Amino acid sequence: MNLEQLLSRKPDAETLASWLHKVPYARFLGMQADVTAGEILFILPENKQLIGNPSLPALHGGVVGAFMEQAAAFELVAKMEQPVLPKIIDFSLDYLRPVRVQTAYAKCQVTRQGKLVANVSVTTWQEDETKPNATARAHFLIPGEN
Amino acid sequence: MPKLTQEEKAEVVEKMNRIIPHTVLLGVSLEKIEGNELTLRLPFREELVGNPETGVIHGGAVTVLLDQTMGVSAVCADDLQPSVTPTLDLRIDHLGVAPAGRDIFATAHVYHSTRRILFVQGTAWYDSPDNPIARGTGTWARTAPIDLTWFLDQPSEEAPA
Repeated sequence: MNLEQLLSRKPDAETLASWLHKVPYARFLGMQADVTAGEILFILPENKQLIGNPSLPALHGGVVGAFMEQAAAFELVAKMEQPVLPKIIDFSLDYLRPVRVQTAYAKCQVTRQGKLVANVSVTTWQEDETKPNATARAHFLIPGEN
Repeated sequence: MPKLTQEEKAEVVEKMNRIIPHTVLLGVSLEKIEGNELTLRLPFREELVGNPETGVIHGGAVTVLLDQTMGVSAVCADDLQPSVTPTLDLRIDHLGVAPAGRDIFATAHVYHSTRRILFVQGTAWYDSPDNPIARGTGTWARTAPIDLTWFLDQPSEEAPA
């Protein structure tokens, strides 16, 4: 199955797993996803190799950003009528609490999708969804005939 | 705390690269310190690819390198009392991509500081700074003072097999 066919599949848990598997860096980070009633939960399982601050300890801030960026990209793909891999334009990340060395979760919201550009926001938390560790906002370029 | 010499700055930065599990995993290394400007290198590897069709490195991997370089660049600022500096925010503009297979670099410096906040900017590039792929802007909070020479005594992480 080529990438275009793969991206066009119904975005259920199995499809999300195949997307994440297809992206080497997402696989390297060990990203997973769960889908409940159409809502995608992105998961970054605990992994000591992702530590960026050994004294706290906490995950590398850049890794948290990478996880959130990938989550935003696939949330967008899942919502597209003609799915393609979007290209990141810019990414703004606010760190609210240290991301501890345990599983992290992310949910995304496609705030606006135009023909050329989409805006996606992401929230990451660990134990309590109401206490986010980081929030982010991304703009993506949608490649195609536009 | 007395100023660090250029050699001591390099030693502290290299030591940080070697005690942080994720920079050990990625093989991040010191490229250059010039004045208050720090340059780190992220060697290319297949696992960093973000688009399997083009082989281009993942935007998130660029974020990791910029965050690391920008966060550590305070070590190279002579006029700053070193302190523990959690990141407040980070903004990355993706200006372009590096050709598949290329190592990428990031150069960063603290461009303004106040008693409590560091303002940092950085650029990621390949081959030469004339080929920018991303621009980073961020703020770091200055909390407890830290003695940078502490890092020199820390044992290094083993690189995973």
